[in-house]
Amino acid sequence: MNKVWCVASTEYLNAVRSKAFILGVLLLPVIMAISIGVQVYAQKKTDLTPRRLAVLDRSGQLYEALAAKANARNDALRTQPNSVSVEMQGQRLKMDLPQQPEFVLEQFMLSGDDLKAAELQLSERVRRKELFAFLIIGQHILAPDATNHTELLYHTQTPTFHELPSWLDNTLNAEIRERRFTAAGVDSQQVRQLSRQVPLQRLGLAQQKTTGEVIAAKLENRIATHAVPIGAMMLLFMVVMSSAPALLNTVLEEKMQKISEVLLASVSPFQLMLGKLFGTVLVSLTLSTLYLVSVAWMLWKFGLLGHVPGHLFAWFFLFQLLALLMFGSMFIAVGAACSEIRDAQNLIVPVMMVLMIPMLTWMAVLQSPASPFSRALSLFPPATPLIMFLRIAIPPGVPGWEIALSLVLTSLFTLGSVWVSAKIFRLGILSQGQTPSIPKLIAWVFSK
Amino acid sequence: MPPPIFAVPPRPAVRLINVTKTFGAHTAVRDLSLTVPTGCTYGFIGPNGSGKTTTIRILLHIFHPDSGEVEVLGERSTRAANDRIGYLPEERGLYKKMTVRRVLAYYAALKGMARADAAREIEKWLAKMGLSEWGDKKVEALSKGMAQKIQFIAAVVARPELLILDEPFSGLDPVNLEVIRTAILELRAAGTTVIFSTHDMAMAETMCDFIFMIYRGNKVLDGTLADIQRSYGEDTIRVSCDGGVELLRSLPGVELVRDLGQSQELRHPDPQTLLRDLAPRTIVRHFEVTKPSLHDIFIRIAKPDAPELAAPKTTGGGS
Repeated sequence: MNKVWCVASTEYLNAVRSKAFILGVLLLPVIMAISIGVQVYAQKKTDLTPRRLAVLDRSGQLYEALAAKANARNDALRTQPNSVSVEMQGQRLKMDLPQQPEFVLEQFMLSGDDLKAAELQLSERVRRKELFAFLIIGQHILAPDATNHTELLYHTQTPTFHELPSWLDNTLNAEIRERRFTAAGVDSQQVRQLSRQVPLQRLGLAQQKTTGEVIAAKLENRIATHAVPIGAMMLLFMVVMSSAPALLNTVLEEKMQKISEVLLASVSPFQLMLGKLFGTVLVSLTLSTLYLVSVAWMLWKFGLLGHVPGHLFAWFFLFQLLALLMFGSMFIAVGAACSEIRDAQNLIVPVMMVLMIPMLTWMAVLQSPASPFSRALSLFPPATPLIMFLRIAIPPGVPGWEIALSLVLTSLFTLGSVWVSAKIFRLGILSQGQTPSIPKLIAWVFSK
Repeated sequence: MPPPIFAVPPRPAVRLINVTKTFGAHTAVRDLSLTVPTGCTYGFIGPNGSGKTTTIRILLHIFHPDSGEVEVLGERSTRAANDRIGYLPEERGLYKKMTVRRVLAYYAALKGMARADAAREIEKWLAKMGLSEWGDKKVEALSKGMAQKIQFIAAVVARPELLILDEPFSGLDPVNLEVIRTAILELRAAGTTVIFSTHDMAMAETMCDFIFMIYRGNKVLDGTLADIQRSYGEDTIRVSCDGGVELLRSLPGVELVRDLGQSQELRHPDPQTLLRDLAPRTIVRHFEVTKPSLHDIFIRIAKPDAPELAAPKTTGGGS
């Protein structure tokens, strides 16, 4: 065991002292900070050039109203503050408001009946950048039975800009609705009141205490039911993915640099493999501890830590350990069996596919955590660490016997995985030349 | 009258009994028996792929034999003795990103050496090899010769009783070669049993107490150099004459063994006849009937369908 510890501690120190680890630790917060920063910067750098729009109103009744609403919008944009102050946990946070460009409308009068010529003329003006877009309003747009799709035609050569067509759609439809109600003699304000939405409240279940007191159901907390389970599972996936695959590289590198033979003169292949595995587990636990402490601090700072049940941290570490031992041993076996990185990349595909199962199925599990599919998947050992963890994180949790069964199955599978990997590692680590075929690997597993 | 004193021979450092190792259809080592006495220098020679490295890996229990017995430093068929064995593999392996001291401390720790003891030994060897100032440098910063010396230190740092060196001199310049050679001889003088494989026959001749040659998995030589040479007899003629190799080739009965440039080694059924044939044709500056060199013996054995294969010449080493 001393030798296993010796290998593990060296692997650990080599890893945590490496630039890759330091970068890895900083990477997540740095990527998050950069993405937020880029978004904020991009928002500030939004093109605020006024968008000039020509309107050919063939109904002759809507342009004035539309132009008035555009002016009102522009006035509001000019007078609104650039940021608002939000109070959170006793702290005032300044939040920038998104900036929007003004819409400048001009009326285009059709001379004669040649709509095509008008369309062409306006198109040319858009091409010459005199206009951003033009809108053609149909003659019969206010008729209650006007249902064809040619009554509102928006032309532009910048189809990716959505704000203007969305504003036109909403504003004109609201105006048209009002006018249709008025024409039909219906009080539009009354219609709005009568057709008001009734919001649906989502709640949990009522409970009864042992004293007989009934505790009313609480309003559903989206943070506890969605954000925490998904966030925690993704973090678990990330720490496993940032540690286990590195084993493939280190084993392959040692094999290619002929270090393995020196080590095998002092330790048995199994001791060497276990040492590497435990070293990686330590590296990963260090990484996850750093991340979890940071996340917990952030949540506490914003008063959200109460949404994360304490036992979730313990489950996180336990499932992380199982996932690392299970997948880590597989990565080690592949690294030992191959002599070149290219071969290893091919051979690792099946392992990666198994590893990705939870990523392809977690949405279905989130929708129905207690469905037969979700339960079966969470008992399938390669998927257990992530899927069972996700199910535990989703309130109200998972029955104890299911968790116990999943732990037993996963532990057995992990032991099997380590045993198979050790057999492959023993023969593969000193093998040279062509990467063995799958039948050959199977033969290695059952060789004496 | 004092009781008679019976000299108990020391336990051999290594004993292989009828060891066979196959890889699929290929037999890497066949029915090999070998005894390496404690405190000697044993040279393993043989062409590439003949089974030297496999034999060494069997000694280290990296490979398990299909049949036969392996006893190393008194431990039979277990890795228990591995902490007392130092090993320098043919292809060097050092962690490039680690500092020299850390990598040596790691290898010493794997042999079960206490940290303080290892640190002292590392400093001693670094000083001996003239590498003290490189101790805190990363391995990747070392020249090839320096890395070779560090690899050698890694093999000896834990004060092994048995030192196994696979091609310890390959790639070394004469200065570094001499440093390593001296270190090996000092270790041997201090009682360490040394096994080393080499392609340098001159080095094997001068350094080894015993020579073991393996060819196509079979033991073909095992004994002291003198015994091996004796078993071949004085059948080699070393000649230096005007006309050189061209003239010698034209004479009847000459089998040219080796052209050394200024002189040639050859075999002839009757050296007196050869000298009589040669004298009227050229000026003979040197004519010597001698034992074959290890190099010559090696070449004779390693030639395809060599007759020596059928009858291994084993006289020493105890097997």
